Amino acid sequence: MGSSTSQLSKELLSEYQELTFLTKQEILLAHKTFIELLPPESQNVVDSLTAQVSRVPTEKVLTLPELKANPFKDRICRVFSTAPEKDSLSFEDFLDLLSVFSDAATPDIKSHYAFRIFDFDDDGTLNKEDLKQLVNRLTGTEEDTQLSPSEMNQLIQNILEESDIDRDGTINLSEFQHVISRSPDFTSSFKIVL
Amino acid sequence: MTSFYRNQGYEEDPDYPDFPNSRANLGSQNSPSYSYSRKNVDNRKSQDNAKHSNTHNYPDYPNDMNSPDYSGDQDYPDNLRFRNHQEYPGSYPNMNFSRSQNTPDYLHPRDSSHHSRSRRNPDSLDFPVTPDHSGAKDYGNFRESPDYHVGSNASSSNPKNYPDRLNSLGISDYRGVGSRNNPDFLRTRNNQSYPESLGISDYQGAEDNLVSPDNGGSAYYQGSQNNHGYSFAENPEMDRGFSPRLRNRALQRDPSFHHPHDRTSGSPGRRNQDYPESFQMTTRQPMSPYIQHPGPDPDGGYRNRAYEDESRLDGAYGNQYLGREDTGETVNYVGGKRNWFDEDLTLLYAAEKTKQEERLVVSLINLTSRDANKIIREQPLTMQEKRKIKENVNLEKQRSIRFSVQLNCCTKCLSTIFLHFRRFRGTVSEFFQSMQVWQRTLKIIGGKFGTSVLSYFSFLTWLLKFNILSFIVNFSFITIPQLMESKPNNLSFNSLELLTGAGYFQQTVLYYGFYTNSTIMRKGISSSYNMQLAYIFTIGLYLVICFFCLLYSMACSFRNNFINPHIYSRGTAKVVFSWDFTITNEKAVKLKQRNLTTEIKETLSEIRHENVIAPLKQRMNHLGIHLGAWIVSTGVAIACCVAVYYLSFYNLKFLTDHKNQTATLLLPFIVCCINLFVPLFYSSFGLVEKFEIPRHQVFVIITRNIFLKISIIGILCYYWLNAVAISKKECWETLVGQDIYRLLMMNFVFTLFDSFCGEFLRRIIGTKLIKSLGVPEFDIARNVLELIYTQTLLWIGIFFSPLLPFIHMITLFIMFHIKKISLMMNCQPPSKAWRASQMMTLFIFLLFFPSFTGVLCVLAITVWRLKPSDNCGPFQGLPSIIHAIYGWIEILSSKPGYLWVVWIYRNLIGSVHFFFILTVIVLIITYLYWQIIEGRKIMIKLLHEQIINEGKDKVFLVEKLLKVQEAQKKPSPFSLSLERREVERESGTSLDRVAADVPERSRYFQRQNLELMEENYLNNDTREEISEEPSQALNLAMLARQQAEMET
Repeated sequence: MGSSTSQLSKELLSEYQELTFLTKQEILLAHKTFIELLPPESQNVVDSLTAQVSRVPTEKVLTLPELKANPFKDRICRVFSTAPEKDSLSFEDFLDLLSVFSDAATPDIKSHYAFRIFDFDDDGTLNKEDLKQLVNRLTGTEEDTQLSPSEMNQLIQNILEESDIDRDGTINLSEFQHVISRSPDFTSSFKIVL
Repeated sequence: MTSFYRNQGYEEDPDYPDFPNSRANLGSQNSPSYSYSRKNVDNRKSQDNAKHSNTHNYPDYPNDMNSPDYSGDQDYPDNLRFRNHQEYPGSYPNMNFSRSQNTPDYLHPRDSSHHSRSRRNPDSLDFPVTPDHSGAKDYGNFRESPDYHVGSNASSSNPKNYPDRLNSLGISDYRGVGSRNNPDFLRTRNNQSYPESLGISDYQGAEDNLVSPDNGGSAYYQGSQNNHGYSFAENPEMDRGFSPRLRNRALQRDPSFHHPHDRTSGSPGRRNQDYPESFQMTTRQPMSPYIQHPGPDPDGGYRNRAYEDESRLDGAYGNQYLGREDTGETVNYVGGKRNWFDEDLTLLYAAEKTKQEERLVVSLINLTSRDANKIIREQPLTMQEKRKIKENVNLEKQRSIRFSVQLNCCTKCLSTIFLHFRRFRGTVSEFFQSMQVWQRTLKIIGGKFGTSVLSYFSFLTWLLKFNILSFIVNFSFITIPQLMESKPNNLSFNSLELLTGAGYFQQTVLYYGFYTNSTIMRKGISSSYNMQLAYIFTIGLYLVICFFCLLYSMACSFRNNFINPHIYSRGTAKVVFSWDFTITNEKAVKLKQRNLTTEIKETLSEIRHENVIAPLKQRMNHLGIHLGAWIVSTGVAIACCVAVYYLSFYNLKFLTDHKNQTATLLLPFIVCCINLFVPLFYSSFGLVEKFEIPRHQVFVIITRNIFLKISIIGILCYYWLNAVAISKKECWETLVGQDIYRLLMMNFVFTLFDSFCGEFLRRIIGTKLIKSLGVPEFDIARNVLELIYTQTLLWIGIFFSPLLPFIHMITLFIMFHIKKISLMMNCQPPSKAWRASQMMTLFIFLLFFPSFTGVLCVLAITVWRLKPSDNCGPFQGLPSIIHAIYGWIEILSSKPGYLWVVWIYRNLIGSVHFFFILTVIVLIITYLYWQIIEGRKIMIKLLHEQIINEGKDKVFLVEKLLKVQEAQKKPSPFSLSLERREVERESGTSLDRVAADVPERSRYFQRQNLELMEENYLNNDTREEISEEPSQALNLAMLARQQAEMET
């Protein structure tokens, strides 16, 4: 595959470079990875770039080693998908994903997408249900790692106490970004590298 | 005249619900002289009696003056007419008004629905946003068709129709505030009322009219904008920052108002798209049709200009916000016909998007392409959208360039140079990226161990790069010239010398002693190379580079990682929100989840037990243990120092007696043993010494270790400077260099030993013998301190052995791989959340403060105080090293071409006064900044309180709205949730904008009075017979605002 698959045109490459936080190598690598995810008949450059023809279904994207173990993998794909059913990723979606998760992306854009990833019901705020689901994903599904209901309640209460600045019971984007801005490790840990 | 008019317009405000926001924020609160509250009262009281004349409001219009009843106009202003007045004073007879006013019938409904009506009016103010601001035509139409006026007046004299129509106007506003599951109502309203009120024959005209009079609207806005001149003094930025947004919001609602209407008139699609775009133009953009067709609005330009800045600053935030708003809005008329909703939603959504994009495009046009790209890249949009924006920007740019003046030659040249430079830089950075051999390794480590362990390795690679730099500097400026001059080395080499650095190496470029003091001349080249100066300047330059590199990294690190640490309480949110996405290993994820659970549980139990104060005895016990631990650790450190001191002095004598090379390894061996085992001993304190906050433990361990290491280095430096340098030995600098070389090498060997045996054995013990110990964790703190220690040694040694960075480079490279292997085989990820970024900041600080500054002191003593050895090295024969500089200045002062160098040296570098003045200036600046920071702290505190207050208001309003909605027949949960969001958006939109939003809004929300509101609610209820539930909700909300305003 190697040489034949990574032949993106120069203009396209530089455009991708301008529009994302990725470097040339990263884009080429992303393209290579993406093509490998496509079914064999459409594994060529032209097809891989046309969003209509080649979308990789989410299940396939989730088999990537970078995402496989991630507890938020389905959310990540959902947030970045431009398909109407949010069930597949085109190459550009894939680049967007990598761009946000790259080293160079600004904390602002990272926290914006983190918020959308954590907003499980897509309603624009993190409410108690979202937080509960978030904590459940963080602690894992196994019996011994689960929090008891009372612990969960207390935790959510604490989170809201710390983050919900206007005390309305939910965390909105700006509050979330505020919390994140005080957690410098966020930028370095919100990162997926191919 | 005009100014007075504006004032009047401003005062009218309170009646306009959409505005209240903007007005209130625009500073009415701030201005004590502002008197609209009085007017309000007036209005309310005098509505019944036709006496209530606002004639003083219209001093500009003699016509109005003549017709005292015109005042009525102010209430249902049909702002159309009102506005038209302004533009075309006297263009149509006021008689009409007076007529309608005089109709007693008319007065009746006015009484009852005054509140609602007056409040709704503003909606018509919103109309200004004209898609086809083909003002002239419409206006002409208006003027020339008396029919219309008659018709409308006729309708206005009809007591029933009028209020209806007003209601229909009001609804859009109502929707904006809250319940919007009432589209049917809306539509029917419009259907009924519109034709009636406006006259069927003129329907089209009326519609145009409704839509077009934006001049009035803008002038109105203008008025308020101008007006707050007097309130600006307090906080202009806030006012301005806030108002455009509100304006936008108000305008935003327009389309939804028009939509139902459009539907009935049978043109759904076209409008949908036209509207949003057009507003956008009028509201935000300086280059909108507004300017191109200034029309009858003389102030339009000014207004736009006023908003230009904000709109640009608004940037992404506005976009996002608007994008959301529109979904909420559209749902309003989801009513009976769902299919409309879907179609509409997509249409509107698309329209909104284009709108946002255009806004962005306009803001980007004036930037350079690089900045524009940067901003586009930072938008949370998909690739397609970003591409579209970029294309638009380019298009617009080309268009503007066509009209702009041709670039002159110089700029062209510059831009080409920049372009080439950028390309070159791109290529270079690509090259370096392809050189990144560790990228893969680092990713694997991150995937398995998370960011915390990764930070150790990135620190190591950072140091490695740093040493590569210093090696390049030293090699090219000191070693290469020396190599040209050097004599062949005739000493034999044996492998032990690799460790001791003596023997063969003594006669190489590795050490100071080998360098010549002569001036290197080449045959055929006239210029000469002064080794003395090269040596001192290269080392000096290197240290200066180091200083600034460290300072820069430290400042960056501090800026990023210590944002408002004082506000922080506990950090549960931080734990929850910062999942480490770098971890890709399945097992590691499981482990991380388990660790997180433990951590969360621990935090929770801490919170639970927080209030329980431990009994005195227990506390005393704890204190005793801490004290004991500190005494023991300090004692051990001092004992070690004493041991090293005596050993080193003994070593000096010992070495003169024994010529055996192995003997030289005794001192480094002992020092390394201390460095390896004492920290282990310190960490065993952890078994008895319990800390409430785990972070404290890390800090304490680091403090103890750094104290130990730095004091040992201090003792060694004392030994080198006070014993070796004075010992009259031949070439003492080389001896010191050898000592440091040995220490570094020995340290390296010990690190290997530690990795292979220590961690390996520990794992064997943990997994095979004592199962409870488990697999060891990678001790980040200890390892990083080790790196700092070696780096300190290297900096000291760089003067005595210029090629030491090369040696260190190799050892670091090997260490990287060894550590990696050991980590992969023996260790598990750390169980505690390690605040990696904060720790890195601390480490860089440690590298800077005791380490680098200490090195500077040592080197300063060497250069200024010590006498270099007589028979070797570049400075042989000089009383002290700095005399090389003095001599050079002497030589230069005799050469007329270099007098400026001499001047600089004498007046700046060598002058006490200059440094004194510099210090004073720096101190003053520091003090000022400190004061500014203090002020900001207070500001932050205030803003924080205000956000909380605002949140309370939000909750309160939401509750009220929910109550009203429950009272309705079919409460739809869908619209409820949307509303929730809407309100959310309205009040808590952005913390970023805190500075702009909060003070104004919360100030009046704060003063909301529940009782008053209830009272008004009831009043309204009884008085407003024809108004229905939705408008009650609106009224309620508006009354709340009004009440708050009145109180001020």
